[in-house]
Amino acid sequence: MTRADRILLVFVVCILPFLYARTWSPDEQARYVQIQAGDAEPIAAELSPDRILQVHGPLGDSVIEIKESQVRFLESPCTGQQCVHSGWLSAAGELAACLPNRISIQLLGQHPLFDAINF
Amino acid sequence: MNSRMLNSSTLITELSNSHGNTRDYTEKSLLRHLLFRVFLCASVAKIFVFIRLKQYLKPVGSGTNPLRKPPPLPAHLFIILLLSLAASACSQDHDDAFHDQFFAFGTLIDLTLYGVDPATARQASERIEQDFQDMHNSWHAWQASDLTRINEQLATRKTATADDSILSMIAEADRLSLQSNGLFNPVIGELIALWGFHDNPLPIGTLPDKDTLNRLVAQRPSADDITIEGNRISTRNPAVRYDLGAFAKGYAIDRAVERLRELGIGNAIVNAGGDLRAIGRHGDRPWRIGIRHPRQPGILASVEIEGDTSVFTSGDYERFFEVDGIRYHHIIDPRSGYPADRTASVTVIHGNAATADAAATALFVAGPDEWSSVASRMGIKYVMLIDTDGIIHMNPAMQARIRFEPETNAVIRLSEPLP
Repeated sequence: MTRADRILLVFVVCILPFLYARTWSPDEQARYVQIQAGDAEPIAAELSPDRILQVHGPLGDSVIEIKESQVRFLESPCTGQQCVHSGWLSAAGELAACLPNRISIQLLGQHPLFDAINF
Repeated sequence: MNSRMLNSSTLITELSNSHGNTRDYTEKSLLRHLLFRVFLCASVAKIFVFIRLKQYLKPVGSGTNPLRKPPPLPAHLFIILLLSLAASACSQDHDDAFHDQFFAFGTLIDLTLYGVDPATARQASERIEQDFQDMHNSWHAWQASDLTRINEQLATRKTATADDSILSMIAEADRLSLQSNGLFNPVIGELIALWGFHDNPLPIGTLPDKDTLNRLVAQRPSADDITIEGNRISTRNPAVRYDLGAFAKGYAIDRAVERLRELGIGNAIVNAGGDLRAIGRHGDRPWRIGIRHPRQPGILASVEIEGDTSVFTSGDYERFFEVDGIRYHHIIDPRSGYPADRTASVTVIHGNAATADAAATALFVAGPDEWSSVASRMGIKYVMLIDTDGIIHMNPAMQARIRFEPETNAVIRLSEPLP
């Protein structure tokens, strides 16, 4: 091995931890929100910038707010308001649904920390 | 992810800051991921080629001839190690579980299967969806169903007939109710309806009529009043009305798990509106379950489960309404007729989902003083109860099993070990 080889190998050894961290570490940060309305195909929305979405369901429009990488049902035309009571979702995997209006939102990430969320 | 992503955003209207960010983000991320992997492989391959080339490009007479003398063995091994690392990075899948979601059983069902080929997984998911739909139609507490028919017959004739499937479910609910000292009570349907937690919510700003409520509580409908003989069910108390809301979800999840096993699937999570039973594991690791904080956004704690385990939480934060700033939620204490008001949430870990479901309700009603005695009676081994002051009550075995995320600074009160 020449000196150049050694330098190269040292360099590779140095970047390995970074590659491992980049490739294997769990990524609990939610990357996007998946919105499903009825039986339609789910739609993905980025978590920035902050904004408000209106999703159409059988009862009318549910209003979904995205703010600082969190998401919630702001308003929904259902009677129980369970979806609104769910509050802000912040961790990948968390979900909330408006059953009467058949709309669900779920935060998703590349490497979610959890396989399921209990609530 | 098997979720079907489309570029179509016809269902969604952006009301503010319209930057066109509602789009197919998944594919973009996957592409970025793939490019990174390709880059990684290419880099390592390049290093390998570079080292080999250098062997050949050394000037003649510099002492070693690479054609006859290859690099020393350790260098070779090192290169092979690097290549294998790169290869494993290239092949590592970010999530090889199958996910599906559907609305059924009055809730959102989230199905996760591991180690199942996509075609089988899709078929299994459709089957489970149909099962949930059938159970919903049969057990509904207020839309016309087998259960409402039984309720009508019990109210008018004090006796009813039913088929085996619903009778065994009712018998199981009655058994758990007796075990819980009646704190999980499946026959207070009239009380639940009076509070508007069926399909007819109370007018905004109003509470149930006090006289009616007191009368229903005084009638004390309980599982003790029920006798089941053959396919006949009878009651000595005409106030008995089945509402299996605190139990049916768990029972249905148990049936779904049975179905998955019939289909040869051994690694799965059936999650119905946040309550779940998991079987097997996620490849080479257990399933990781996050438990939501009852009072703020995000995760309070996590638990790892495998084999066959249910995690159920009953909370005051899902179904409720407020009158004069006071929250009235759907978990009614059968003794008072009012929502149990000292508990914010109860999490139960147990094998069988139906038992976990009934126990979560019973322990919620039992509250911070009585929960451990009721848990003992019901054979529950892992309980965490968060009271309305934010104090976390649990048994030592639960404390050993649960991990707070991040460490909580809440007061934790440990009970005596549960038997």
